Amino acid sequence: MSPLPESKIAPAARRSKLAVRGVGKTFQFSGRETIEAVRGVSFDVMENEICALLGPSGCGKSTVLRMVAGLEEPTSGAMTLDGHRIEGPDKSRGMVFQAYTSFDWLTVQQNVEYGMRINKVPKTERKERAARFIDLVKLTRFRNAYPSQLSGGMRQRVAIARTLANDPSILLMDEPFGALDAETRWQMQELMVGIAETSQTTLLLVTHDLEEAIFLADRIVFMSRHPGTVRENLMVDFKKGRRFQSREQMIEAPGYYELEKKIMHLMRDESRRDADSAAGQAH
Amino acid sequence: MGPSVSGIASDRDGAAPLPAKPRARRIFEYKRAIPWTWALGLGISIWVLFFGLWEIASVRGWVNATFMPAPHTVLGTLYVMLAERAFLTDIMVSVYRIVVSFLAASAIAVPIGVLMGCFRVVDAFVNPFVAAWRYLPAPSFVPLLLMWFGAGEGSKLALLFIGVVFFLATLVMDHTRAVRTELIETGMTLGASRRQILRTVVVPAVLPNILISMRQMLAVSWTYLVIAEIVASTTGIGAVMMRGQRFLHVDEIMAGIVVIGVLGLAFDFLFRFAHRLLFPYLQRGNN
Repeated sequence: MSPLPESKIAPAARRSKLAVRGVGKTFQFSGRETIEAVRGVSFDVMENEICALLGPSGCGKSTVLRMVAGLEEPTSGAMTLDGHRIEGPDKSRGMVFQAYTSFDWLTVQQNVEYGMRINKVPKTERKERAARFIDLVKLTRFRNAYPSQLSGGMRQRVAIARTLANDPSILLMDEPFGALDAETRWQMQELMVGIAETSQTTLLLVTHDLEEAIFLADRIVFMSRHPGTVRENLMVDFKKGRRFQSREQMIEAPGYYELEKKIMHLMRDESRRDADSAAGQAH
Repeated sequence: MGPSVSGIASDRDGAAPLPAKPRARRIFEYKRAIPWTWALGLGISIWVLFFGLWEIASVRGWVNATFMPAPHTVLGTLYVMLAERAFLTDIMVSVYRIVVSFLAASAIAVPIGVLMGCFRVVDAFVNPFVAAWRYLPAPSFVPLLLMWFGAGEGSKLALLFIGVVFFLATLVMDHTRAVRTELIETGMTLGASRRQILRTVVVPAVLPNILISMRQMLAVSWTYLVIAEIVASTTGIGAVMMRGQRFLHVDEIMAGIVVIGVLGLAFDFLFRFAHRLLFPYLQRGNN
């Protein structure tokens, strides 16, 4: 087994990239009815860090991500990226969705060039960058294919290359591998580690898959529901500042089971609380 | 195949493989695809059957020849009409009316439908109007249109326009609404402006369905054409058929119906062809 590669930047040298401060979101439905989805959420994502928002379904993690993307407006609190206040969507926060978002009428190459075309990147640079990122997601053979000819995992790689080629300051991913079969999912997770290392990307990822969070993330923000709040902010420190290249490495690493067990307990506790409150309402 | 992996028995080690026993193909299979030769043969045979029965019924005298002339009589009449009575001019007049009115209706309905599907403000403003007009039968405007535009081209084009524009706008709106939000939001997080998203995401995403809606509405357009030409026209296929009725020339009426059917098929084929040509990415497994 090859030794774990050192991460390029030591944790101490990292600066806060994304700052989320006391963010809340209350949805209004047809006048009177309101649902508080998220309350007082605060956390940081450091430069070049991979951060996972983890939690049971309905904990508001996707809402938090959508607010960071600017697709949803917070009802309270504020967020900054590189010190600038987040208002509305823009190219500094590129997002990859769970549903396939490849543009079916464009080839792989044209899909990856899309953002750069919109942002008026000169043609030669556009072509060159697109080729580089298509290579990074290992789709060079398929650059002239249409998305309908590709598998689900390949389409997701097109979306990742398209977002990264547009040079975002942070990459946002909303359960990006959730629609894939188990084997493709871990292949994508392993590929994603390589992509993050090569492109020096800061990544904020939403997932409900605990192993995915541990494998990919340097930091896990565990969220609790009703309403969505941050329950624990965990550094994945058993990795000692390195990232795994394969799942086997992760499973063999000392400290992995302890962290998995700890998060399992958190999840168990969440479902127990739900059962209790449901029982309380029934009486 | 290479050597068998230890612990996993290959076919040779164990029992002899069971020979595959292909089951005879049955004619009726639920939802199973059929060879294209079958499809072609079946498609032709229903027409052969239809005209065959008609021909037999006429020749044997089972039906009154005045009201139900035989297919070969109708085709003969059609030839005479084309060769000696300038029927082609009438056909061209009808085609011209269809094409001009349909292009005008599409030029209005498609952009409005797309905007209604994208923006709730446009929808709230335009839809109450469009929805009401859809429920008014277009032919009920014929008397009004005749007073406004007279018996010239204007009244026919206006009827065809009214008959198509509101339905087409609604169809286009529905298809535009169905464009997935994630596609639009992807555009937003890649830095596209609202105008750029309309041009580079929404329109290309909905265009194939717009073409399908146009194809459906073109068929409706033919219905209104015949109504317009029967009610108030001296030219066009409908007018020729109306004259045939006045002189009890049933063969001429039927010739008109045949021509409309053939033209309908031809236009439908054109739309399908354009669809294939414009949207190669919808053909699965090409390259």
